[in-house]
Amino acid sequence: MTTEELETLLEEQPVNRLHRLARGRIHRHFRLGKRRLIEALLRCTPENRPGLESDLQALMQEPLPAPPVAAKERRPAGPQPTRPGSPRSAHPVQAGSIESAEPATDLTSFLEGIGVPAPQPFVPDAWQEEAVARLTTGDVIVSVPTGSGKTYVALEATRRAIAADRTVIYTSPLKALSNTKFTEFSRLFGPDKVGILTGDRKDNAQAPLLIMTTEILRNLLYDAASGEIDVRLDTLGLVIMDESQYISDPERGVVWEETIIFCPAQAKLLLLSASIGNPQDVADWLTSIRPDPCHLIRHNRRTVPLRAGYLHPNGKLSPLFRSVGIPHGQGGALHPEAKRLFAQYEEETIRPRSR
Amino acid sequence: MPPSIHPVDLINALRSKHLTPAIVFLTSRRACDDAMQAFERSQVALPPARQQAIAAVLAELVTQYPSIAEHPLQSVVQRVGVAAHHAGHLPSWKIAIEELMRQGCLDAVFATTTLAAGVDFPARTVIITQSSVRKSRDFTDLTISEVQQLAGRAGRRGKDLVGFAVLTPSPYIDLGVITKGLTGQPEAIDSQFVISYPMILNLLKAHPLDQIQAILAKSFAQFQLNRRAEILENKLDLLHVQMEPYGPRICTDWISQWQVFDHARRQKAHRVQVKRHESPELTARLQFLTPGRVVGLPKGRGIILRQYRSKGQKQPMVTLLRPGGAVTECPASTVTQVFDKTFEMAEAPVYPWCAPASLDELIRQADDLPVRMPILPILVQEEPEESQIVQTLNDEFPCPTCPSRPACQKDHAVALKLRQEVHRNHKMIQALRTGLWHRFQSRTEVLQQLGYLTPACQLTEIGEWARLIRIDHSLLITELIRADAFSGIEPQVLAGIMSSIAHDDDRPGAFPRISPGLASLLGQVRHLAESLEPHEDPPLLRADIAAVTERWIGDPTLTWIGLCRLTTMAEGDIYRLLARTLEFLSQIHTLRETHPGLADCASRAIKVLRRGVLEELP
Ligand SMILES: Nc1ncnc2c1ncn2[C@@H]1O[C@H](COP(=O)(O)OP(=O)(O)OP(=O)(O)O)[C@@H](O)[C@H]1O
Ligand SMILES: [Mg+2]
Repeated sequence: MTTEELETLLEEQPVNRLHRLARGRIHRHFRLGKRRLIEALLRCTPENRPGLESDLQALMQEPLPAPPVAAKERRPAGPQPTRPGSPRSAHPVQAGSIESAEPATDLTSFLEGIGVPAPQPFVPDAWQEEAVARLTTGDVIVSVPTGSGKTYVALEATRRAIAADRTVIYTSPLKALSNTKFTEFSRLFGPDKVGILTGDRKDNAQAPLLIMTTEILRNLLYDAASGEIDVRLDTLGLVIMDESQYISDPERGVVWEETIIFCPAQAKLLLLSASIGNPQDVADWLTSIRPDPCHLIRHNRRTVPLRAGYLHPNGKLSPLFRSVGIPHGQGGALHPEAKRLFAQYEEETIRPRSR
Repeated sequence: MPPSIHPVDLINALRSKHLTPAIVFLTSRRACDDAMQAFERSQVALPPARQQAIAAVLAELVTQYPSIAEHPLQSVVQRVGVAAHHAGHLPSWKIAIEELMRQGCLDAVFATTTLAAGVDFPARTVIITQSSVRKSRDFTDLTISEVQQLAGRAGRRGKDLVGFAVLTPSPYIDLGVITKGLTGQPEAIDSQFVISYPMILNLLKAHPLDQIQAILAKSFAQFQLNRRAEILENKLDLLHVQMEPYGPRICTDWISQWQVFDHARRQKAHRVQVKRHESPELTARLQFLTPGRVVGLPKGRGIILRQYRSKGQKQPMVTLLRPGGAVTECPASTVTQVFDKTFEMAEAPVYPWCAPASLDELIRQADDLPVRMPILPILVQEEPEESQIVQTLNDEFPCPTCPSRPACQKDHAVALKLRQEVHRNHKMIQALRTGLWHRFQSRTEVLQQLGYLTPACQLTEIGEWARLIRIDHSLLITELIRADAFSGIEPQVLAGIMSSIAHDDDRPGAFPRISPGLASLLGQVRHLAESLEPHEDPPLLRADIAAVTERWIGDPTLTWIGLCRLTTMAEGDIYRLLARTLEFLSQIHTLRETHPGLADCASRAIKVLRRGVLEELP
């Protein structure tokens, strides 16, 4: 087989077959698109060409598990020149005929209900109230999806602490985020109530609410432990650590641990985190080292429902899954239309039209 | 078919379906900038009212962040209502884009995935175009948590009834990673606790040595290690129960006794039978040629399926699985290398000597063998004389005549296996329980050797000030101070050195020239960093990076734009470099009591550094 013949033959193969062929031959082949996969296969095998060819022949005898391309491989094997630019009709996939009896959703229902909700008076969610309430008796970890409203818990807890004449420290992992929060909190509590600390600056350091990065707080705690008190920690009533999933950051995670270990006993800890797999472990850990038990608030519900779609480069939109919403915890059967379009994408990107 | 959708078409498609505002996550800064350029060239223009709204928001921000007023992208953003947001931009510009997005003035933001963590601005729709991210030098698949952080930005509370995460293909996408990310449970997080030198100094400043172990035990790291140890301890309890029938017999340690006896006996038998045929090397090797073992052959490698002796000659033979799945037989003497690698396999009494499922697995593994594998060290023992063995057997072992002999013989294999398991578990539990403490001790020794700690683990005079340097490469910095490398130094040179220590990115580019003074000091720093390498990873110490900072501090009349023109670095990167340098300098500044001259120099550097855009944020 000449290189051209082999190339043509490879081009005719469905992508998942190429991936099987690439297994053990090409490092991280799964991240290559079809075109690049073929190039890599041709490049890496000049001396093992016979092996590649025989493996390819063997694979072509096997039926493929994936349906969108099932129709293809019943074609006789052998070089079949592709006509560049010609429309391909090689995917007679019957929508919905493959998986379950339940029909897949359609685009209309997928796009239904877009809009702006009517303005409503602010009513805190039950979990938000619970988090604030639990802080009176111990530390609290909140692990809920992005955009659920963790800031409200921080704000309300701060309000109460300030009302009780306690100081509050709010830490974030990034200076940029500290800055945003500084602006936001100053607007809410009044500029005289909020201070910010960085490596070289202390703006309003006597304010009851201090914003800083976790590193700065860790340094403060070390200074306090060796008797050089910089900011008054004796009145500290609450330490809020936003984005505390950073505790697993390879480089900086240790700073979160140090801060939590040395956090003064009289201050309550409020850890705000995006969804993580084992928040109960973190809560158990806190309970084991802190004076009061730590309460975990967690849920995985999205307040605004989320849907997943597939947008084809030609502008065609399709639901990504068979269901309107995201099928959590169930492998996620793809919508037949999305599947067809994606297979088509992988096929068509093998040769740019310009050739 | 283009490999991915054109940005203008993408936004139009989204607009037509009422899916804006959207955040479009792209693979690189470059891709974000290209998308912006595509808009710049396009005829797109927002209705005047919307353009005015954007102008109004920007105008208000300018009072706090003057650099926004002169940002080159300002007018494009206003005209087309989309923007790019990535680490190459100044923080003030990113703040502006975030504020515009929060106020609903933009239709789309093209962002890199770094946005996903930390910055909060949501949208109605999130577009995902990739399934992997660049981490240090390699691309890694997005984790479930990361996919959910990206997708989670879709659907603003109070502004949207429903949010959309839309995937659009590019050559960089693996559909499986995204669908798994969308539907799966986020990963559990693990502690990343490390014991750093400043941590030790600060701990020992505040606590006596005998409390340290208890403090380390409070870490999340130890909590998780304890969890693992507890599992092993439960397993150990079970093993102890299983061990019960195999307690002391006539000999207290009958397991070892029998083991030695059995070994001696076998050697004897073995010798008599095969001595003439085999070299000691082969004999020593035979006991490792067990099913599942990977071995090297004159041509290629293979996995042992069984060992046997040939019918006539009684030659030792092996059956091998070769890559590709072929099963072959050959004399054991043709094995050239025995690797320290065995695979689990279910043995079977007939050809191919391996259960079918297990064989499939093995074939896969045989095809996927790592290029390099450690070779198993095999000790070749000169065999003792035969008469000696017989002697030993009768003289030294009570076993041949012992009443417990049948029982020992029968139970030995099981008992030995259990006992080894117990030992292994013990060792692992010990490592889990005390590993952190040992790491602390070994790093403490370094600090003692270098003179930061007394032999009794108290801070020396040097340790007292060194503990205030709590940044990466702290050891290098404190050693430089001790070596008087900074005496009489100019602020711009100190700042230059600090930025070359702070900067950890090796992206190439064009930079200003470095002054001879800074260059020669940098040579000294490099030298010291190399000598510290056994204790601390050396920083990159790039001269070109040092030169950028040197210019900025050395010439207070240099404008931000002027500085940016001197290098090919993106302005966001220059900003981050200077901000990090500032952090390092402010740590030096904390040494004002013990090193007033140096601290003063740092503070002068900070004052000059903090100008223009570097003054806009606290
Ligand atoms: N009980 C509520 N009712 C209505 N809207 C709410 C409620 N709680 C919070 N919100 C709104 O939800 C939006 C998102 O909240 P917030 O920024 O606190 O989320 P988050 O959980 O911190 O998200 P992230 O993971 O991005 O940090 C805000 O606009 C906030 O005003
Ligand atoms: Mg938040």
